Amino acid sequence: MNREKFYITKQMTPAAITISLNGELDLSAASEMQADLEPYVNQSGRTLILNLRNLHYIDSTGIGILIRMLKQRTAVGGGFKLVEVTPKIKKLFDITGISQYLDLEVAGTPQERKEDIV
Amino acid sequence: MKHEEQHIQLTVPADAHYVDIVRLTLYGIATKWGFSYEEIEDMKVAVAEACNNAVLHAYKDREPGKVEVTFSGAEGECIRISVKDEGASFDFDHRGGQPEALHNKSLKDIRAGGLGIYMMQALMDDVQVITDSGTEVILTKFLQRNGEMA
Repeated sequence: MNREKFYITKQMTPAAITISLNGELDLSAASEMQADLEPYVNQSGRTLILNLRNLHYIDSTGIGILIRMLKQRTAVGGGFKLVEVTPKIKKLFDITGISQYLDLEVAGTPQERKEDIV
Repeated sequence: MKHEEQHIQLTVPADAHYVDIVRLTLYGIATKWGFSYEEIEDMKVAVAEACNNAVLHAYKDREPGKVEVTFSGAEGECIRISVKDEGASFDFDHRGGQPEALHNKSLKDIRAGGLGIYMMQALMDDVQVITDSGTEVILTKFLQRNGEMA
């Protein structure tokens, strides 16, 4: 099974900061992630994009961080978007109800996902 | 053929860095007992939420403690996962009554508190919380068998 320590990677353009979340975002990774992202969350100049393609797991702690980020981005008037959200993670967003507040794009087509899972 | 019920126990420190060990163990056992990838993914989240509660609340302002996880069930039947600590009893009822999701609220009113217990209930077939000396959360999932449903 896919098991790796959580880490983030960043990409910056004049219009956006894209942060990719990789691995498993759980209670043990939560405080580190929050500290890593803090400098970007309060910048209103660029859209903040989280790429979730390689996020294999999230729990309520991780969802809690997304809720706080969403509130902070709304307060500073900066764009906030989640892209390449896998069906597994989207299911948890739907169950908890956070989907309705997020600007999110689901990853790939069903064909691509099938290959990915196998 | 009916398989004999098995009990597998795992004790880990009540520390966030050991919750992944519980998830990995669940993955191995649930695969052996015939659960699907999707069912196992659901259970991984639910069992981790139960462990998170023990890690965050059970031994707060006390000596660090342990979390005892017992996987019971039989191949092809069901799995029952008990997550037990011996810390301060976690008062699920007092923490807002019925667990709620975030649906139909305004952004300023949404918060993450209580989502863990809500997710456990949404992802498992049954959730029991027993608070006595410590807290025990019992999560149950039945195996869905193709072609045998009424």
